[in-house]
Amino acid sequence: MIIPVRCFTCGKVVGSAYPEYVKRVGMGEEPAKVLDDMGFDRYCCRRMIISHADLIGEIAPLG
Amino acid sequence: MDIEILEMAERKGSFILKDSTPAMANALRRTMLSDIPKMAIDKVEFHLGPIMVDGKEYESVTPLFDEIIAHRLGMVPVPTDYELFSPQSECVCEGEGCPNCTIMYSLNKIGPCTVLSGDMIPLGNSDLKVKDEDIPIVELTDGQAVLIYATAVIGRSRDHVKWQAAFGVGYKYLPKVGIDPDAADDPELLEVIDVCPRKVFEDKDGRLTVVNANACSLCRACERISRGAVTVEGDDRNFLFTYDTDGSLTARQVLDVAAGIIAEEAGGLAEQIEAL
Repeated sequence: MIIPVRCFTCGKVVGSAYPEYVKRVGMGEEPAKVLDDMGFDRYCCRRMIISHADLIGEIAPLG
Repeated sequence: MDIEILEMAERKGSFILKDSTPAMANALRRTMLSDIPKMAIDKVEFHLGPIMVDGKEYESVTPLFDEIIAHRLGMVPVPTDYELFSPQSECVCEGEGCPNCTIMYSLNKIGPCTVLSGDMIPLGNSDLKVKDEDIPIVELTDGQAVLIYATAVIGRSRDHVKWQAAFGVGYKYLPKVGIDPDAADDPELLEVIDVCPRKVFEDKDGRLTVVNANACSLCRACERISRGAVTVEGDDRNFLFTYDTDGSLTARQVLDVAAGIIAEEAGGLAEQIEAL
């Protein structure tokens, strides 16, 4: 739906990182390197970002 | 008991707790996780009904339920200043809510747009703007709008995680990695360098050398293949801590406050025993 504000497991803020992650990966950078570079070193926060399906744009017009 | 600071950035810290006990280390960890007072949004008021902007009528409807938006606003880290604000229970207003214990934010956006945490405007002191400005709160399409007033108060994370200032707080026994000096230049022993998953060892002029003992995870993979030449031990009197903060407090503040809370609570215990 929409990226959660924080990591479910540890509580690190992940919401603000998602748009940047999508942009950088879209420009051809390797996802693992982008996550390392943005300071996500625990696998709980990494999975929040890599496994997210951003569907809010599809839901929004129906609201 | 001493603390040696290894790294103290704004949002990330690591230190060694020296000459202590596992009970003390765990008390410090738990205090950092659940007892640090911090500001977070606790009450959210939504404007319901049409919102008029420049003669156009917008509906106060969003793709997410109001509860979800309120929860998301709560999770946004709010800057905390102990000098400016006190917990509501100790405030002069006796919990009613006043500028000494609450921060008011207004959030007023019309679609189509993505509402970000940076769109929250503090009423009064503009230093209280949230530092993380790019957290998406909700997306609006054309004709949708939000008008929200949110109130932040001080709390502790034993009541709700939104008041958790430090996270990822963990410690391990300080690793002690030893190499038998007589066997260190044995070429076969250099295999240990590739076996170690944390890159603790290096080859220096043909001798096996420990370069980064703190990174060791005590997995003992090196011990198993070295036939006794390498020994790994966890020191249960020294602890290597690492933690992060969400930006509402600095790493340094979290450690100082935690140490203060432990001292205060331990002092209280001594008094209670005295009174018995």
